[in-house]
Amino acid sequence: MKIDKIKKEKRIFLKPGKTNKEDRLNFVKFWAEYVRTHSDKEWSKQQNIVINSQIKR
Amino acid sequence: MEYNKEKKEIITDRELSNLDKLVLKFIKILEKHVDYVIISGYVSILLGRSRATEDVDVFINKIHINVFSKLYDELINSGFWCLNAEKVKDIYSFLEDGLAVRFSEEGKPVPNFEVKFPKRDVDKETFNDFIIVKLNEGKLKISSLERQIAFKRYYLCSDKDIEDALHIEKTFKNQISFKEIERLKNIIERIKKDEKNKKFFTFSKQEI
Repeated sequence: MKIDKIKKEKRIFLKPGKTNKEDRLNFVKFWAEYVRTHSDKEWSKQQNIVINSQIKR
Repeated sequence: MEYNKEKKEIITDRELSNLDKLVLKFIKILEKHVDYVIISGYVSILLGRSRATEDVDVFINKIHINVFSKLYDELINSGFWCLNAEKVKDIYSFLEDGLAVRFSEEGKPVPNFEVKFPKRDVDKETFNDFIIVKLNEGKLKISSLERQIAFKRYYLCSDKDIEDALHIEKTFKNQISFKEIERLKNIIERIKKDEKNKKFFTFSKQEI
């Protein structure tokens, strides 16, 4: 896939928001871009730290 | 994630979270008895949104109480319980009244599954354009991405919902039909107007 190529070509930077709401929305965009340009295994591993901290099995 | 719009299919080899495993366990039982579609927050989470949730919303097709009773028995035997009532008749009557009922693993109210019959025509439509998400350990039926975005952005409208909609829009950019979102937005605006009128008339009656 082009994922590695995209990673090398362009690093995405998170734009700081002027308000908490704007900052949150900027992070959502930043994270969506990360999900789009990285393998499922890579992003889900990070996402699972958030989710699994809530649900222990 | 690979989204095939024609086939209405998303394939992902994402590492499953404990929540995904629980959802697969619940759905494996549910789908033996009734057709379903997962809607709302968990859809965004399944597709990568980085947040936790306390419930998973599920539409089920309207079924007879006898079928529901078999489903309920199997859920109970598999370690789930209903948070709203114990008797099948009571739980079913909530559903019939258009209310949602919640199931969780016994003794663990969070996270839970909020199950309901679709009431409005636009909710029933969810069964016509669902997407199948193929995971390493099973399949899940979710509402269309456009429906997800439209309801979050124009009906639910909380900060969390707007963020969920934005996540899907950005993750699947170029594959989203904005024409379809616009169609749903118009329906939602009519629903909100009706709800507002209904509230106003109920209030006026109380005044009298």
